[in-house]
Amino acid sequence: MAEEMFGRLVSIMMVFSLLLSVFTTRSCSDHVPLIMWSSEGRSLWTQDPPVAGHIVSRSQLETYLSSAFGSAPNSAPHTVLLFLQDRLSVDDITLYGGVFGNKQDSVFPNLETALQSSSSLLVLPSVSGSASVPEVLQGLLNVAPLSLDPEQLNELHLDVSSPALLVFRLPFGTGSNEMAPKDSLRENDRLMGNVLDAVKAQAVPYTAVYTALAPSWVTRDVNPAPQSVGRSLLQATNDVYAPLQILDNMGKVCILFWASNLTVSVLQSGQWQKADLTDKTFISSGVEKNGSCNASNSQLILKYGNILGFQTFQLTFAMSQRLYPVSARQWFTLDQVQLNYDGHNATFNGSDGITAPSEYSYHCQMVSSSDYPLLVPSTPTDNAKQWILTFTDFQIQGFGVTGENFSYANDCASFFTPGIWMGLVTSLLLLLILTYGLHMILQLRSMDRFDDPKGPAIAVPQND
Amino acid sequence: MNGQALLYGGVTVAFWSTLLVVGICYTIFDLGFRFDVAWFLTETSPFMWANLGIGLAISLSVVGAAWGIYITGSSIIGGGVKAPRIKTKNLVSIIFCEAVAIYGIIMAIVISNMAENFSGTTPDTIGFKNYQAGYSMFGAGLTVGFSNLFCGICVGIVGSGAALADAQNASLFVKILIVEIFGSAIGLFGVIVAILQTSKVKMGD
Repeated sequence: MAEEMFGRLVSIMMVFSLLLSVFTTRSCSDHVPLIMWSSEGRSLWTQDPPVAGHIVSRSQLETYLSSAFGSAPNSAPHTVLLFLQDRLSVDDITLYGGVFGNKQDSVFPNLETALQSSSSLLVLPSVSGSASVPEVLQGLLNVAPLSLDPEQLNELHLDVSSPALLVFRLPFGTGSNEMAPKDSLRENDRLMGNVLDAVKAQAVPYTAVYTALAPSWVTRDVNPAPQSVGRSLLQATNDVYAPLQILDNMGKVCILFWASNLTVSVLQSGQWQKADLTDKTFISSGVEKNGSCNASNSQLILKYGNILGFQTFQLTFAMSQRLYPVSARQWFTLDQVQLNYDGHNATFNGSDGITAPSEYSYHCQMVSSSDYPLLVPSTPTDNAKQWILTFTDFQIQGFGVTGENFSYANDCASFFTPGIWMGLVTSLLLLLILTYGLHMILQLRSMDRFDDPKGPAIAVPQND
Repeated sequence: MNGQALLYGGVTVAFWSTLLVVGICYTIFDLGFRFDVAWFLTETSPFMWANLGIGLAISLSVVGAAWGIYITGSSIIGGGVKAPRIKTKNLVSIIFCEAVAIYGIIMAIVISNMAENFSGTTPDTIGFKNYQAGYSMFGAGLTVGFSNLFCGICVGIVGSGAALADAQNASLFVKILIVEIFGSAIGLFGVIVAILQTSKVKMGD
């Protein structure tokens, strides 16, 4: 029973890991290992090795190599041996390098001895395939690469005084080449050993690089990257634009204003004419925006042209802030919204409702002069009587702006509406009364001092 | 601990812990400015206050009257078993308690006649007269309600003592009646003050 369950568990885990490996989108990243060592006396480079799994890009590789070869012109010229295998992956070294305690099976004996006897060693397990190591080396050393066969090295006399870049192509073919990978690697290692011996015989300090042109282990994409299956909220379908900003003298943002809808209506010859100014104000920048800010007053001026038949049309928002001693904090109010059209004025007062602490912004779902008006005409006979101004999703901040986003929005809607509060107060009162009444009734006791259940029943005389 | 004590204890703990948690949240989020009593007083409708006053006027008066009547009534009935002569005379105590309920209903009708419609919706447009009316009516209702409540209890307990004393000794009743008269005067005080409170009420546009 337990064994059966364990077996089932193991099989489930295997299926799961198989699925995981299948569905993990492994990108077909082209990365090869790079091993660099130097036989020069001192250690050449002291770079931090890369983080595990990190694929070294071309620029990072240049950083590594330039620190090794030195960009200073008066550094000693380097002799660089580049062993460029057709294909190599870190997995080859892991598989055939005798790293699991079986040193005798290693196919890289010469490489190992060379690494052990080297003074400096740099191992980059994953270098991006686009890094193109020969080009990078060529660029750093400023010398043309010289392609050689390993056997030809014996005939070449290396000159220590000038830099040299010797490239040895090591075959590691697949397909037509009958040699097993293990044997191929062993053969390449032998060739490397020969080259290193030849260079050592000439007593030339060298730096050797063992890398490849392409990886030999390629993981294919099993699944293409899935198409974005993101879901969006219903409300996120409309375009969201940045708030309107006004900068102060120092170039810092000092006023922020946003609305999802801005309409003005005017009563002309008995009819209400409406104009939607949202697009002009926020999206297409068809408005000339101006403003001024100082410590106690902020003003936002929006100038439109030709609205509702008026040549000039201007909206001015006047805000002010001051310290209110009872609440011991600074509050700002939107005192007035003024419309200037063709020389006439219409002024709305908003100082009663549109307030917030100075460091916060003010937000309200509907700021209008018609329904639940937060903007009222400043005097009963003002021209504002003929205008209706409506902002939807109105948000404004005139003081304490940090950055390009609004501060915390003090909303005009509170958590409990007045209606909810009224209901709560009344219900609480009624509950108290009910509790009191119940308490009283539950402690009623009848007279039982003279109760005697075993005695005779009392006789009440019928007469008198 | 019996169930009742547990219930009251639980309700108290729930109430105070809610207040504590809400207060702490307001404080740590720096949203203390949103705790606005003035907002509550101006945004809640004056009609709520007015009608609460009317309701409390009649209901608290009736509670006082009922309490007094059942205290007196049970004494009269119990005493009347042994001394039936007290029944008729002690009905006067019941009438004193009933008067308290009558004060309450009269005041409730008077106050409810002052409630008029108004057309404002925001604190500005409602106007201070309407707010004053709402709060006055609430205050008057509380005044008459609570004074009648305690008057009724007082008259009831005194009346109960009067009935039992009368059952023992018929000459005691008249003297105790004087105590009862003083007790019922306090209900009248409440009515007078409530009338004064609502004298300046003018609701409407």
